[in-house]
Amino acid sequence: MQEGRVLPAKEINRDLLRSIMTTPNWYWVTVVLMAIIVIGAMSAAGLMINRGMGLTGLNRPVMWGFFIVNFVFWIGISHAGVMLSAILRLSKAEWRRPATRAAEVLTVFSLMTAVTMPLIHTGRPWRLVYWVYTLPFVPYDFARGIWPNVRSPLVWDPSAIFTYLTSSILFVMIALIPDMAVLRDRTTGIRHQAYAMMAMGWQGTPRQWKLQIIAGILLSALILPVFVSVHSIVSWDFGMAVSVKSWHSTIFAPYFVVGAVHSGVSAVVFVMILLRWIYGWENYIRHEHIDALGRLLIVVATGWFYFFVMEVIFGFYGREADEIAVRDFQFTQAPWNLWFIFFTGLTYFLPVSLWLFKWTRRNLWIMSVACISVNIGMWLERFLIIVPGLAQKQVFTFDWYTYAPSAVEITIIGGTFALVTLLMLLFSKVLPLIPLYDIKEGDILKTEIKIGRATVPAVFRED
Amino acid sequence: MSANSHAESHYGAEMWVFPDKTQVTHEVSDRTSAMPTAVTAGLAVTGILLILGVVGFIMRATGDGFGAHGPWGYYAAIFSFVFMVTGSAPLAAAIFRVTKSHWRRPLTRVSELFAIVGIFNIILFIPLMFVLPDFRNPELTPLATNQLDLRRTIWFEVPIAASAPHWLNMLGIMGMTLCALLLLWLSAVPDMAQARLQATGFRRSLYGLLAGHWHGSKSQWLNQKAGLALLGAFYFMLLVFMQFTISSDYAQSLIPGWKDSIFPVIFTLTGFQSSLGLMLVILFVLRRFGGYQGYIGISLFWSASKILLGLSLLWVYHMFSFGITFWYGRMEVEQNILKYLLFQSYGWLFLANITFSFFLPFVTLLWNPVRRSDWGPALAGVWVLIGAFLYCWRIFVGSFNAGDVYNIGLEHVPSFVGPDLADILIVLGGLGGAAFLYLLASRLIPFMCVWEIKEGAMYQYMGTFMRGRYLVLAKPE
Repeated sequence: MQEGRVLPAKEINRDLLRSIMTTPNWYWVTVVLMAIIVIGAMSAAGLMINRGMGLTGLNRPVMWGFFIVNFVFWIGISHAGVMLSAILRLSKAEWRRPATRAAEVLTVFSLMTAVTMPLIHTGRPWRLVYWVYTLPFVPYDFARGIWPNVRSPLVWDPSAIFTYLTSSILFVMIALIPDMAVLRDRTTGIRHQAYAMMAMGWQGTPRQWKLQIIAGILLSALILPVFVSVHSIVSWDFGMAVSVKSWHSTIFAPYFVVGAVHSGVSAVVFVMILLRWIYGWENYIRHEHIDALGRLLIVVATGWFYFFVMEVIFGFYGREADEIAVRDFQFTQAPWNLWFIFFTGLTYFLPVSLWLFKWTRRNLWIMSVACISVNIGMWLERFLIIVPGLAQKQVFTFDWYTYAPSAVEITIIGGTFALVTLLMLLFSKVLPLIPLYDIKEGDILKTEIKIGRATVPAVFRED
Repeated sequence: MSANSHAESHYGAEMWVFPDKTQVTHEVSDRTSAMPTAVTAGLAVTGILLILGVVGFIMRATGDGFGAHGPWGYYAAIFSFVFMVTGSAPLAAAIFRVTKSHWRRPLTRVSELFAIVGIFNIILFIPLMFVLPDFRNPELTPLATNQLDLRRTIWFEVPIAASAPHWLNMLGIMGMTLCALLLLWLSAVPDMAQARLQATGFRRSLYGLLAGHWHGSKSQWLNQKAGLALLGAFYFMLLVFMQFTISSDYAQSLIPGWKDSIFPVIFTLTGFQSSLGLMLVILFVLRRFGGYQGYIGISLFWSASKILLGLSLLWVYHMFSFGITFWYGRMEVEQNILKYLLFQSYGWLFLANITFSFFLPFVTLLWNPVRRSDWGPALAGVWVLIGAFLYCWRIFVGSFNAGDVYNIGLEHVPSFVGPDLADILIVLGGLGGAAFLYLLASRLIPFMCVWEIKEGAMYQYMGTFMRGRYLVLAKPE
């Protein structure tokens, strides 16, 4: 059911450009606050790099901790963009329109944040240069005949992530062109020149629209394999390690991808609710949109839960002593078992039970709680995959140790959340977080059908 | 037939069809009660195949008995194929109804009719209850390090485990069939209530009995729709669970050391893919040769083909996830399993399987003009059906002939096992029996869901938008 009224183009422009044209007081306060947290996190990272990894809680045998958990988490959030924008665009879901831009932008910023995590985790980020091993000004590898292992998932990771980042930026830019032209025509001075440059001569001719639409559809189709490959490759960082029991599982790739979509879409729903609240976009982000996203999330969450159950069952299926020991750790030993209960409850049982009813899906407070709950749960999921598996004694280690994050790690992790918030806020100051042209197109396609005595909303469809 | 002129639409005249809702009941009833020569011939051929299958079964049972599971590999393969395809089919109606896909309407009854074939699945499953090896190793050698006292299964060591797969699987298949039959009945009640007014003789009594007190009140419609959604959700859960247990009990647990969490997912995906393929083939035949051209538009093939393309891509992605994890791990038991099922013993079958399940449908459906035809998606449907059959052959015959199920791992690579005469007859009988029942059911319950077709006719028309003619689709919910 279409619930919104058709708005005049002038009103759409005014409402959706409000975040750019005017600056409320809370905006700069929030930006400064976020910037302080980010600077704090950067200082903590600098200190850690200066003093060494001893400042973290990482030690034998748990050499992957909060940084890698957070890396997987942000990669997961980045899956919202393609899920909502590309897949829903290809499937022509009308309710996608207000959510696409926020999802795409969140994809780009969360990917950028994700890549900082392994760099910080290396402890010596300047050694990144060795990954770019073919450049002639890096003689180290040539001199000693040392080459990166191209079969390592740690080489696949940067390839996949930077391909995804490039294509995501392209995806956002293509969709932004018509809106840049609107901004070009409403600004003066240096801002006008900047928007004019980015609008690339857009005049809204039929040919330009055709090319823009074709480019959007082509990019949607092309970005899908990249989207799937990114989190699959991240999952294989774990899945290929046979020595860590509970990691070597064939289901990890789709399990990670569905989990990423689950957390990503939940994050977008929360961002949309925030945007509706802070910018007063009630006419654009309506209850019907949140309701539809809630129904989509039931499907995604249930798919994720199916993969999760398969992963656990086949963990026990082999009846191998080492693996049972890890599972025992996860399921029966405190505090891991408590974390496990929180994780399953927050990721599936609580949110899905809230999404089952129409009235709860249309209550924005309840939806916010459910979506935050999913993201806390998904963060815990990654933690519970990584740490208990490593904390068990391995074949090639002589220690049996657990892991507790240090203050430095917690500060850096907190900083990544502030960084994404900061980047989103800065973006909203220069570009619209709801695509103007998409909303206008949706309004144009709306019509009505008379069935008996009732008038029913309808849309023009191309298929 | 067409009340809407849409020839000027840039998608062509056959893209969308607008049946005359005043004529639908009559036309569909007439087609259902008629007995064309092609249907009679189809029933005769499939009936003969079914009899041949029974002969093959008797040959196998008298020749090998039920003591060893190896000789029953082809029987398990054809059961799993029929179960996988026909079990997944009714789900299409339920899912597309929930997602409110408007193009689904001619497809729903075609898919729901497969509920009848569930009865055949129950019968086919009975012998498999007797051939599954015991959980406990009857010949455990003391101090042997490469043997298990209890073989690996998904039932672990729960007290009921000794008989768990046999009876729980049977109960599950019976539950699935019952649920699918209820779905079919609930969906067909409004049509039968209308048909009982026109039918005569046996059909009139049957329709009257099944339609009950239906007279189309608002509360009855609301209850029917809620019931269809609930039953659909329940059927979905039951189906996914049964595909997990059947694939684990009758394949994975029979290959020593095969621990593969993605395998049940691939089995389920193959079921979704092949059942959609089968429905596209049936809809193509009905459209071209069954006189239903006015009911089945090209838009159905166009929309369904995109889903089939997506399922084919998902299938190969999951297969890749399985293959690369085992290949990269370099563990001996996993390498042997790869050699057995993918690269050596069943290597040629795997190549054929991936060709038919992925490469051919992908190459066929990649092109929009092909997707926007009735023959293209139907052709892809044939490919994926062949692919699904090869998949079941490779996996189930391989699993049933992998050697000692109580071994801790696959220590060598067993050889390929080809079919003998009894196996060929069993396979033919399995395919024939399913087709026979489906054809028989279609003589009593129409291929088209009349109330959904009428509802669709109310919800859509061709309208003018700017300078073009486009479909206008109502969104009442």
